[in-house]
Amino acid sequence: MSITIQNLNKQFGNFTALNNINLEVESGELVALLGPSGCGKTTLLRIIGGLDVQNSGNILFHGKNIAHRNARERSVGFVFQHYALFRHMTLFENVAFGLRVKPKKERHNETEIKRRVHELLQLVQLDWLADRYPAQLSGGQRQRVALARALAVEPQILLLDEPFGALDTKVRKELRRWLRRLHDELHVTSVFVTHDQEEALEVADRIVVMNKGEIEQVGSPDEVYANPGSPFVYEFIGNVNLFHSRTHALWTHQHGDAIAYVRPHDIEISSDPHPSSLTAIVKQIRAIGPTVRLETATLPDGEIVEIELSRERFNATPVSVGDKVFIYPRHIRLFEEKKKNPEFSAIAHHS
Amino acid sequence: MRNSSRLQPSHIKIATCEPRIVARILIAIALFYLALFLGLPLFAVFYEALGKGWELYLEALRDPDAGSAIELTLIAAAIAVPANLIFGVAAAWAIAKFEFRGKNLLITLIDLPFAVSPVVSGMIYVLLFGAQGWLGPWLQEHDIKLIFAVPGIVLVTIFVTFPFIARELIPLMQAQGKDEEEAAVSLGASGWQTFWRITVPNIKWGLLYGVILCNARAMGEFGAVSVVSGHIRGMTNTVPLHVEILYNEYNFVAAFSVASLLALLALITLLAKSIVEYRVRKDSQTIPHGETE
Repeated sequence: MSITIQNLNKQFGNFTALNNINLEVESGELVALLGPSGCGKTTLLRIIGGLDVQNSGNILFHGKNIAHRNARERSVGFVFQHYALFRHMTLFENVAFGLRVKPKKERHNETEIKRRVHELLQLVQLDWLADRYPAQLSGGQRQRVALARALAVEPQILLLDEPFGALDTKVRKELRRWLRRLHDELHVTSVFVTHDQEEALEVADRIVVMNKGEIEQVGSPDEVYANPGSPFVYEFIGNVNLFHSRTHALWTHQHGDAIAYVRPHDIEISSDPHPSSLTAIVKQIRAIGPTVRLETATLPDGEIVEIELSRERFNATPVSVGDKVFIYPRHIRLFEEKKKNPEFSAIAHHS
Repeated sequence: MRNSSRLQPSHIKIATCEPRIVARILIAIALFYLALFLGLPLFAVFYEALGKGWELYLEALRDPDAGSAIELTLIAAAIAVPANLIFGVAAAWAIAKFEFRGKNLLITLIDLPFAVSPVVSGMIYVLLFGAQGWLGPWLQEHDIKLIFAVPGIVLVTIFVTFPFIARELIPLMQAQGKDEEEAAVSLGASGWQTFWRITVPNIKWGLLYGVILCNARAMGEFGAVSVVSGHIRGMTNTVPLHVEILYNEYNFVAAFSVASLLALLALITLLAKSIVEYRVRKDSQTIPHGETE
């Protein structure tokens, strides 16, 4: 089932949580809402799920306006950051809850409920813990139960609010891959909220980058990473070096106030000068796994530039701390810096 | 150095521990204090009540005035406790799960009966509903009698005891948040289903605890009830008021016999309270996360 969001606005008192959001989620897609805390991503998710109400705007499920339906009538599965399992019920009863509260006409008989709950618990690989209580489980197990519970009512849409936020790194990585596999099996339209760019890049089909209640960019993980649409996205996803045009007119070919964004791995170093290279001194060298990170300071300004090289590339032109090197960008993105408006707009694209 | 703490000589002082003598003195003071101010009076009540034998004791309880006082006390509690149960759950639900204007004012108002002397609250009801009160003439016109009658006693009992259940539930429900209710609703549960299947099981021990305290106070309330009751024997006397009248008439055995009922109620309340507290502790004990991924 597809989701269409039109001109959605939400205010909490004087605070604008969502400002004119328009978004399209295709049927069967796994979409990540990514952004820093307070950017409105959770509010957007809760409004889609019917747990919060927008001030204006429409939400369409498969072309049908459901803005006035409450959470109960939206047939949406919701997974909470802190699991929200029913603490006084066993795992079995937790998963069965959605089946048991159905109106009498639609309710399955006890045998069918049992069969389906066990099927779901098998799906999340926790069938052997059916008689336990939530307090007896680890965080990762609890979140899997929460997912099974949400899937029990066969929702058309699955919404996950920072599903792995409360878990430690190792469990988080496992669950991430597991969620991706599960989604590939079930193909239920899913939207999940995260502030972890790595999680979004790894799991999602598409990423919606949000900032201050607005959507900054929508695109595939590759697009968002390789081709950020705004300075915010550039800085939020991955590392980036900033160059101000006044100091480095050589690179930016601009006389106004523009800022050039260059990823650390898009900077080339060489021992010979290049027509558009800057001179820099190597300050620090750190080898991290397969990459080598250099911290250099440009001459004469002393601006810090981070460079990332593959180990092979580094070994081909080895440098040591204190060496003078010539650096130039392979890929650069310019955004105009407006004096009055702190927002930026893209003006040029060099490759 | 295995078992180093066990091998430690006993005369070595541990900085965080008081010397044993200090601990003993403190315990002795506490016990003496309890015995003097709680144990002794309790003993005295039963001693005085039973001092002249079971015959007189039972006779005092069989007295029709005593019977009607017991009945009235039970009626007042039977109305006040359920009323405050409904009010307490509703107020705690509203405060814990919703944001609205005037929330702080509501919390403050719930505490009002704790802050006001019961006699004053009784006076307020007389001022409002008494014959000379603001609403008195209107009530008389419609032939409604509140003050110096059973309805007045029920009203002040509700007023004096209404914070107990709400106060018990508000922090509990605030701590539990509304995630579970939201999860239930998103799974298709209706409001009533969510309330009965999720909210009530989560607050049941806190609720019971509040009901026990509320009941004890409702049955034992003296000041406020005394003001509005008018002390009409066999009509508007509750158990505490009946005790006072008997005592003022120098009918000590009867006074203490009836008082022993209230003392018994206190003991039962304490017992029930301890049992509930024990169950709450047991329920909240989580088994350590032995399971791993």
